[in-house]
Amino acid sequence: MTKISSEDVRKEVRRFWAILSGNLADKLEEMYSPTAIVFTGKAKRSESAKLMAVRRSRHLPGTALSSRAEVGSIDVQIVGPDVAIAAYTYSFNTQKILANGSKVQINTTFGRATQIFERGEDRALRIVHEHLSAAAPPAMEKAGE
Amino acid sequence: MSNISSDDVRAEVKKFWDFLSRKLKSQFAEMYLSSATVFAADARRMEPARLMLVRRERELLGPASFVAAKLGSIDVQPLGADLAIASYPFHLSITRTRASGKRYQSEVPRGRATQVFQRDEKGVLRIIHEHMSSAEPVSSKQLPPTDPPAQV
Repeated sequence: MTKISSEDVRKEVRRFWAILSGNLADKLEEMYSPTAIVFTGKAKRSESAKLMAVRRSRHLPGTALSSRAEVGSIDVQIVGPDVAIAAYTYSFNTQKILANGSKVQINTTFGRATQIFERGEDRALRIVHEHLSAAAPPAMEKAGE
Repeated sequence: MSNISSDDVRAEVKKFWDFLSRKLKSQFAEMYLSSATVFAADARRMEPARLMLVRRERELLGPASFVAAKLGSIDVQPLGADLAIASYPFHLSITRTRASGKRYQSEVPRGRATQVFQRDEKGVLRIIHEHMSSAEPVSSKQLPPTDPPAQV
């Protein structure tokens, strides 16, 4: 069986951020293995990716809200015939509607990501572990109408 | 070769923190493969482990520095015979010595770690990738020059 290529992994990372930015209609939960574990941006503990993906999908930007992700250079380590580690920095700007109806802009400038991909029996690459963090707290500001 | 057991990985994680807190420089450095990459908790970019080791040695493993960690439950995800991921929360108390000689005490109450272990050619589990972060901003204070390292 051929090894995973770095370019395949980078393609999956870009797909992940396209979904998260609302630019691709693919389902986020399908990017994860059923047993995947994630550390999200500010969670104190790791959690099941299934739960997190459902929660994230609920908050994906609709037409009224905009999100933009910029991904830095993606370092890929192929660590086995079916496993690869992607590590990179990112910035993510998104809008959110608060409970009181006001709109805020959240800017994560110094995001850092580790995503470990495994190729399944169907040959698809899926995330088995994810750790997202930020070197500085995200900045929040009131968004215009 | 048999699959990596979760207990083997947990033992390596405990060894990692034990070496760091007891300032066992060479044993600590041996935990990383030469190609390992690291996101340190306060770094904006990823770096090769060998660079991080130079900095950690200077800042955390000197006589005026101090490291104490309390680990939470360690999740292990085995990935075949030679690879496993450990992820866990931790509480870290450190006294760091900067290149200027100034010392800073920091508390990381909500630390989070991902460490990917891979068996080397001798069968020893070593870190190939590490991502440390904090769920809350880290508070630091400068210590007066005469203060001994804080004990926890």
